[in-house]
Amino acid sequence: MIFFIIRRLILTVFLLLLVSLITFAIFFLVPRLAGQTPYELAAQYVGRNPIPSEIKAVEIKLGLDAPLYLQYGRYVKGIVLGVHYSDGTDVSYCPFPCFGYSFRNEQPVWPQLISDAPVTLSLAIGAAVLWVTGGVAIGVLSALRRGSFFDRFSMGVALAGVSLPVFFTGLIALELFSYKWSVFPNVHYVGITTNPLLWARNLVLPWVTLAFLYAALYARLTRAGMLETMGEDYIRTARAKGLPERQVVIKHGLRAALTPIVTIFGLDLGLLLGGAILTETTFSLPGLGQFTILAIQNQDLPEILGVVMIASFFIVIANMIVDILYAVVDPRVRF
Amino acid sequence: MATMAVSLVAAVGIAACSSSGSSSSGTSSGSASVTYNEGTTSVVNPSNQKGGTLTFALSSTPDSFDPGNTYYAWVLDFDNLFTMPLFTYKSCPGTCGAQVVPDLATDLGTTSDNGLTWTFHIQPDVKFENGTVVTSQDVKYAIERTYDRSVLANGPTYYQVLLADPSYPGPFKDRAKNLMGLSSVQTPNATTIVFHLVAPFPDLPYVLAFPNTAPVLPSADTGTNYQLHPLSTGPYKFQSYQLNKQLTLVPNTEWNPATDPNAKQLPSKIVVDMNVNQADVDNRLLAGDIDIDAQGTGVAAAAQARILSSSSLKANADDPFTGRAWFAYLNTKVAPLTNLHCREAIEYAVNKQTVQTAWGGPVAGGSIASTLDVPVIAGYKSFDLYNALSQPAGDVAAAKQQLQLCGQPNGFSTNLAYRSDRPKETAAATAIQASLAQVGIKVTLKGFPSGSYYTDFAGSPAYVHSHDLGIDMGGWSADWPNGFGFLDELVNGNTIAPTGNTNISELNDPVINNLFTKSNTLTGAARTAIWSQIDMQLMKDAAVLPMVYARSLDYRSPDVTNAYIWDQFGMYNYAVLGVKS
Repeated sequence: MIFFIIRRLILTVFLLLLVSLITFAIFFLVPRLAGQTPYELAAQYVGRNPIPSEIKAVEIKLGLDAPLYLQYGRYVKGIVLGVHYSDGTDVSYCPFPCFGYSFRNEQPVWPQLISDAPVTLSLAIGAAVLWVTGGVAIGVLSALRRGSFFDRFSMGVALAGVSLPVFFTGLIALELFSYKWSVFPNVHYVGITTNPLLWARNLVLPWVTLAFLYAALYARLTRAGMLETMGEDYIRTARAKGLPERQVVIKHGLRAALTPIVTIFGLDLGLLLGGAILTETTFSLPGLGQFTILAIQNQDLPEILGVVMIASFFIVIANMIVDILYAVVDPRVRF
Repeated sequence: MATMAVSLVAAVGIAACSSSGSSSSGTSSGSASVTYNEGTTSVVNPSNQKGGTLTFALSSTPDSFDPGNTYYAWVLDFDNLFTMPLFTYKSCPGTCGAQVVPDLATDLGTTSDNGLTWTFHIQPDVKFENGTVVTSQDVKYAIERTYDRSVLANGPTYYQVLLADPSYPGPFKDRAKNLMGLSSVQTPNATTIVFHLVAPFPDLPYVLAFPNTAPVLPSADTGTNYQLHPLSTGPYKFQSYQLNKQLTLVPNTEWNPATDPNAKQLPSKIVVDMNVNQADVDNRLLAGDIDIDAQGTGVAAAAQARILSSSSLKANADDPFTGRAWFAYLNTKVAPLTNLHCREAIEYAVNKQTVQTAWGGPVAGGSIASTLDVPVIAGYKSFDLYNALSQPAGDVAAAKQQLQLCGQPNGFSTNLAYRSDRPKETAAATAIQASLAQVGIKVTLKGFPSGSYYTDFAGSPAYVHSHDLGIDMGGWSADWPNGFGFLDELVNGNTIAPTGNTNISELNDPVINNLFTKSNTLTGAARTAIWSQIDMQLMKDAAVLPMVYARSLDYRSPDVTNAYIWDQFGMYNYAVLGVKS
């Protein structure tokens, strides 16, 4: 098992390096192949009415005049050791771990990512708790009461949940519960360390909105899995042995039905931790999703690169955890 | 899980408790006497009541809160809460607010040496938030640091043009000279500052009204990080700032109201939420959760409809001119627009009503324009050479007559450049195309990204010529509210540049150029009279097709006191606002 985890960790590092290489190539190699000069690229980083010497200074400071492999090497080195950006007279230091330096904000990218991550983390984990508990519970009950009013109603709602985009359900939730009835007025992010109750109050609507989308999917998946599992021979055997129905359902039925749910949960959570763009934008939550949108709007390449790296990290790590859990459940995947 | 569940239950509980409190102030119309557009001419809810939290929100982020590194209009307005530049604009509604007045300076200064030397004195008893007394050296240092564009890239660059040593590298690269190497600015004593210009420039006080003249204590200058906590000299100081997310200001105890009559210190806290989506900003504003949209560019379409259809909401709204003009350059170097009559045909033919609708209609878009200069600019005079106001649907007969005179009786073909990532500009370009087609002028639309519009496309004369961009969409706001501030960059022949060109018509009319030169030798009413002469001449040249004088529908919470539109910025004066407790 230990060797399996080590193997997976090494693979994870290589995967992240590959992602960084591809992303770096997209942002810096492709424009160059399309004819963009380092000078033109540097012009994007200076302010209004720049004079040529200012653009040249930024080109040197960012190292855009160097060969691309050297630029990539400096980027990777910065992540591990930090890096100085210098044009000979002016020096900006980007400390370890340097995921680039935003010359739009005149700030290193990493502290901004770290400052936004708790918002996304709060949103994703809270919503995940709701959608897993809600979705799985509804799925199980629907499967056990197949064909009942509850089953049909809950699956209808689930279909709506899957079909309706977050920016629709979110806006409806805001209109009704925030602007109109003021149940959750003035929804904005407050840090959990600043005020835990306000933190939760302001996240209720985003949690429920996001969870509605995912819970619907999980309910349908759980229901399908449970229907299949509850028809298996070993379930009949368990019942024949005289086990209580609750134990049959939870211990034998649900456990087997959850296997695909765990897989998809890992992927979903990993994806969300990289930034729930639609939910964060709808509710104006200053997380990684909003950071991404702003970086794209500003064409801030170091920031975009940084957020791609952190999103990849979460997805890769989530996949690794799922693989490890799988290995625990099913030893065959270790080999 | 258990913690989460407890938090959730508690959250619902406190949400329910708080709901009744906020809804009462939500959509009430405030004082019965408050009316629509009242803030454009008078102070709404005048009060000196202290306390409460004033909450701003906006859909974007600042370029920088470093006073030496900003050019955004709302930040220039907002900076007055924590800075005292040498000059500011008078705190009063209407055209009164376009007057430049001393702030840190004691008066408007004196000139000598035929206008090449300006001497100003600063107030001796102004302090930074840490208690240090402000000196003229701190003002000089603030100006010096703006020279280093590798650190402060966003602000205006007037000093490099106006002052005698344009190649000064800035104090970050000039430490050997004790941070005071800019020879064209001298500080003979702690309260005097002297500027040496390369040419007479009567508008210098306007330039010194940018917040980049707000004093900066050299020992507190953290370079690129200064934006995170600039040392305040104004009524408020930074308590916390999460970059591009939230700013909290609290009263600056070292601020003396006697030294700063154009600002007030009323709320006990000011909060700015940034990067909030526009629909959320508008809805929170109308629900009473926030007080002002800091960006000051008006509410979006959905909120406009709600406000205009509700008398109680409308009473809390203003529809001011923003100071911006939307227009199209008619390039005088691209055939057949080299011919005056061809350009005049366009002036007559365009349907100004459909163009106005494209910009958002008369309330949120703007009023139909017949001049390049806008009504809030000193020296503006209304005239209507091409019947934009008398025949807003277009004067087709006059247009056809001009086509005959230009030798193109059946019309001609040209290209129109516009910023394709701007929906309103795209709609306006399409409206122009449709109306010109009626007189046989075939317009091909050429869309470009706004980020490089001025650097690579419409602002590059070489590109304009090689791609026959005869009509080029544009917009402009003045850096200061007089004709020079508005018109010089647009139509002075001296400003035609190989890239970043803003005189896209490439108008180089000696009459206009001489009027600009003459304006630098005049003052007062004689100088102001020049601006309408220039405006008239450029319209006679048909170098610009005016479209609209931009307006925005702004909403002020009924809880806000001392609210009025400050003409210089076309938005509320943030430095005097208060809130009802």
